Amino acid sequence: MIKKIFKRLGLKDKLLGLIVPFLLLIIWQGAVTKHLFSELLVVPPLTLLNTLIELAKSGDLSSNILASLNRVLIGFLIGASGGFILGIAMGLSPIINRTLSPLVKALQQVPEFAWMPVIILLFGIDEFAKNIFIAIGAFYPMLFNTYLGVSGVPDKYHELAQVYQYKSHRYLAKVILPSALPSIITGIRLSLGLSWVFVVGAEFFGTEAGVGFMMISGRQLFQIDVVMAGLVVIGTIGFLLNYVLQLLEKKLSGGRVAFDGGIA
Amino acid sequence: MSVEKGTLEIRNLSKSYVVDNNQLQILKNINITFPSGAFVSILGSSGCGKTTLLRIMLGLEKQYEGDALIDGEKIKGPGSNRGIVFQDHRLLPWLTVGENVAFGLDKLNRKEKKLLVDDHLKLVGLSGFENAYPSNLSGGMAQRVAIARALANKPEILLLDEPLGALDALTRMYMQKELERLWEFEKITMIMVTHDVEEAIYLSDKIVIMSSRPGVIKKVIDIPSARPRDRASSEFMHIKAEILKEFHLGTEYPFAYAI
Repeated sequence: MIKKIFKRLGLKDKLLGLIVPFLLLIIWQGAVTKHLFSELLVVPPLTLLNTLIELAKSGDLSSNILASLNRVLIGFLIGASGGFILGIAMGLSPIINRTLSPLVKALQQVPEFAWMPVIILLFGIDEFAKNIFIAIGAFYPMLFNTYLGVSGVPDKYHELAQVYQYKSHRYLAKVILPSALPSIITGIRLSLGLSWVFVVGAEFFGTEAGVGFMMISGRQLFQIDVVMAGLVVIGTIGFLLNYVLQLLEKKLSGGRVAFDGGIA
Repeated sequence: MSVEKGTLEIRNLSKSYVVDNNQLQILKNINITFPSGAFVSILGSSGCGKTTLLRIMLGLEKQYEGDALIDGEKIKGPGSNRGIVFQDHRLLPWLTVGENVAFGLDKLNRKEKKLLVDDHLKLVGLSGFENAYPSNLSGGMAQRVAIARALANKPEILLLDEPLGALDALTRMYMQKELERLWEFEKITMIMVTHDVEEAIYLSDKIVIMSSRPGVIKKVIDIPSARPRDRASSEFMHIKAEILKEFHLGTEYPFAYAI
């Protein structure tokens, strides 16, 4: 019976992925109980769980998560739309591609955090600056995947569109975008994933809410358990985001998955 | 001078590419008339320029000397008066069978579209498949959908580029029968490029034999035999022997095996 349910949900394979984290938790708890590390510096998992429950009860956790998600969404929308539009333009026009691709590739080499001083100089440290910081991270995966999808539309489909006289926006909507869809959805997933990674970084400077803020203030008040709780929350939400988007990716692209990012 | 609808004429047509400063002649001085309502096959081995010729008729290929006329007017590009079936079915995998058939009907409203799609799916024997996806179809079924898509547009001329080339031998013969039935039903001009001699004899009123490098017309054979044709009849065999001779594949005694 239980076997059947497991099979139905495809849980059997997924359970394998839980074994190592579970073992680590046991070792972690054991190490602290045996006083290998100071309990002040390495918070045992059970204490951490308590902290998480406390944070959840007080409403701190949800308000911080919501603040971060809100930031991610705005930054992602700005960056990903930019990447999407530029990706289509570069994918459709070899001239635009040759004009812009050296610049794009050079800028992509700049580490995300190297933008920080520039952003602070230009936009200060308020909300918009954080959105821009996230947007830069979200921009590239969306750009590259959209470009790959659009430039990879097979010649035979271009020819078919020509035969049936599909032009401009009809051509884009009925042939180019559907053909590029698997790539575009992969772009959305990777782009949103990176946005979530960068939101914490963005919140390390001048914020009053967010998971990153929660961790910074935890560190300042020497509440190591809060810092660690932040880590757990970041990892969990990032994992869930990726998981949900992967399901969506499979559903929307009818099994035509372009790229799974290497790690399923 | 008025020409009957569905007539295609090729006059003094030549085409060449330049490859590494060398002029490569693909087609040389081609003259053919495809009469309205006829089934004409262009037969030749690969590389004889037959597909290029079909692409010129379709309007995808525009660089050439001479004239390609449809109903007396110069072909300027693809148009809805010509339909095409490619060797690969070329259905769009993200569209259902019904949506694929409606691909060329974008300008019609929903009701008109549905009527035409239903009609043409029924015509190719695939009623009830409109919500299936191309990935769920066999090669023969997919090619039927491709034919339905081309016919739904109500073309005067249907161009067929080795339409059955990717099918297995039995499906192929079955589809040849189907093509004949569709041709008789639609009463339109059909021009098929093929390298299958029997297929050409089975289906055509007229066979245009081409040879390679440069692509020229070697011979035009009219086939007046009654339909449906019997592949095993002596008349069929005779025509086949005559054609094979053109490709230097003939034997002195074509029926030696039968004795």
